[in-house]
Amino acid sequence: MTTTTKRVQIKAQQQLKTLMRDYFLDLDAAAKDPGRRVAWCTSVGPCEILSAFGFEVYFPENHGALLGARKQSHQLIPRAVGMGYCAESCSYMNSDIGAAVAGVSPLTAAYGIDGPPKPDLLVYSTNQCREVQDWWSFFGRRHDAVVQGIRPPTHLGEVTPQHVAFVRGLLVEMIEQIESKFRLRLSYDRLEEVVALSSRASTLWREVLATAQANPTPITFFDGVIHMAPVILMRGSMMAIDYYEALLQEMRNRVTQGVAAVADERYRIYWEGMPIWPKLRELSEACINLNAAVVASTYCNSWAFEQYQRGDPLDWMAKTSIEIFINRDEVTKQAFLEAMFDRFKVDGAIFHNARTCPNNTNSRFGMAQRLREQRNIPILVIDGDLADVRFFSTAQTLTNLEAFVEQLEEHKR
Amino acid sequence: MSAPIFVGIDVGSSATKCIVLDAQNTLLGDHVAPSGFDYARSAETTLARALFDAESTSDDIAYCVATGYGRQSVPEADRRVTEITCHARGAREWYPTVRNIIDVGGQDTKIIHLSEQGKMADYRMNAKCAAGTGTFLESIALKLGVTLSELDELAMASTNDTMMNSYCTVFTGTEVIERVKEGQPREDIAMGLFRSIAMRVMEMMSARDGTVAATGGVAAHCRALVRGLEEVLETEVLLPPMPQHAGAYGAALIASESARSAADWRDHVAQG
Repeated sequence: MTTTTKRVQIKAQQQLKTLMRDYFLDLDAAAKDPGRRVAWCTSVGPCEILSAFGFEVYFPENHGALLGARKQSHQLIPRAVGMGYCAESCSYMNSDIGAAVAGVSPLTAAYGIDGPPKPDLLVYSTNQCREVQDWWSFFGRRHDAVVQGIRPPTHLGEVTPQHVAFVRGLLVEMIEQIESKFRLRLSYDRLEEVVALSSRASTLWREVLATAQANPTPITFFDGVIHMAPVILMRGSMMAIDYYEALLQEMRNRVTQGVAAVADERYRIYWEGMPIWPKLRELSEACINLNAAVVASTYCNSWAFEQYQRGDPLDWMAKTSIEIFINRDEVTKQAFLEAMFDRFKVDGAIFHNARTCPNNTNSRFGMAQRLREQRNIPILVIDGDLADVRFFSTAQTLTNLEAFVEQLEEHKR
Repeated sequence: MSAPIFVGIDVGSSATKCIVLDAQNTLLGDHVAPSGFDYARSAETTLARALFDAESTSDDIAYCVATGYGRQSVPEADRRVTEITCHARGAREWYPTVRNIIDVGGQDTKIIHLSEQGKMADYRMNAKCAAGTGTFLESIALKLGVTLSELDELAMASTNDTMMNSYCTVFTGTEVIERVKEGQPREDIAMGLFRSIAMRVMEMMSARDGTVAATGGVAAHCRALVRGLEEVLETEVLLPPMPQHAGAYGAALIASESARSAADWRDHVAQG
């Protein structure tokens, strides 16, 4: 493999940096202002309700990813393990708990703030994993803050009106609890506005991802995991919409002008599973050097929700929160992956077997093997983790990746 | 300058192997040496010894392909190809109908499954763990106070079907001590270790149809590995003439094909 990596910088990156800075500085200010309230929320949790109540919303999973990307996790996880959290439980959770105990945060170096904002309320949904309830509970105890959780039905095949009605009921119950504990009243008009903004940001994000259907693709998975930050952290705001309108325009211009994210794109790959945050750059560069473009992923699509069409905002929130990929059964997941393979015309797929994230790993029950046989395309399973670098071997993974590209080349013939 | 030669260098985690072929793919020279800490130096000295063996000089090299974990440390290389493709290419030259190649190396174990057309259909590598690798055997042999070849001799003398309960190098070490204390014959314990590797291999095999061949350093030095594989997989396991050199041999064959082709290295993969 050569080492002459040629990467075309996305211009919106500068705007993203400013956006992120403003977001975290405002959160920090809100936490220090007695007149404002901060709520922590899971990444596909009911953040629109929190925004409509007037809370400033912070997402701890983003902090876990930052700790991983900054290669801090493996030094912090042992602190959480020492407190009784299993070393093979979620490395986001263990990193975040370890960071809190150690008093460190990547937000300090990036934005000059002490760390995550102190919460008044912590809200989780187990629609992605059950670990969040223990993670949130730890910080609830630590900050003496209110913890509210909803536990929707999981591993769904078809999402029925009964499922949606049940989850809607959970949301109503949660709203009533928040109203009671904080002496607030939710404005459903405001909620409808926030949901409309959230849906608009999500739709724009989906359109950004769809530009990768072009050959060559203007954007890869490795770009996507960076540029998806606003749709998680700021959905429900105009900031996210403005950002994605600019990014979408840039990507469409790239398609028109034939600007490739990976020069001389020869192989199109699908990424299934979590990003390997501490090794993102190395993997991105390895792919570029192999002329391999990771054009689509389950992960980036996790925030591409169905569009909101007026009506009951709670129905939309309930439905979108349970119809996400991670909350579905194996049959539905496989059908989704096959549709994505076709839509993005991929030559092969990489499944990331994330050691501490069984819920977002789909190679453990034969799916990779079934897809390999049924679709007759090469599929690679790589061992790693989202944040804990100790579960990853660079040399072994790069050899695997190179051999996979050799296999893709054979397959093309 | 004499006749052109084609070189394959496989810089593995434990040993560096080199093969020199002529234009008719006839073996002219070979060498194997420990990789040590300095892959570049190991590649350089192994190449020099193989060239000496081939009665050639570096000026005669028409094309050189490097493979193995240290493939980036070979400045002479015209191309770098993964050991997975190289082992497949080498094994296929020896056994044109081979479908499964089991390469047990020092640091990892690879299972390569070829299609009926000889294309790479699937491959697996062990996870980030020494279970089922040469390092596993070396570690336990050290605990038993024997060399790897002595461990092999002990295992081949076993007449019982002893199995170990753990794959883990550390836990197996403890289990071995317990079994020695219990008075189990060392021969049976030794064979149990090779069956442990074979069980790990079986887990990694996505398909078991067709001819099976074993390559790599452990297969080259330990007959008990082949015995264990045959018992566990319930099939004949072919052992090529130079199992440890299979990757270097495949690399040299790809080098020969590369020199004949104006296409880029990717073309080589499909040939053979």
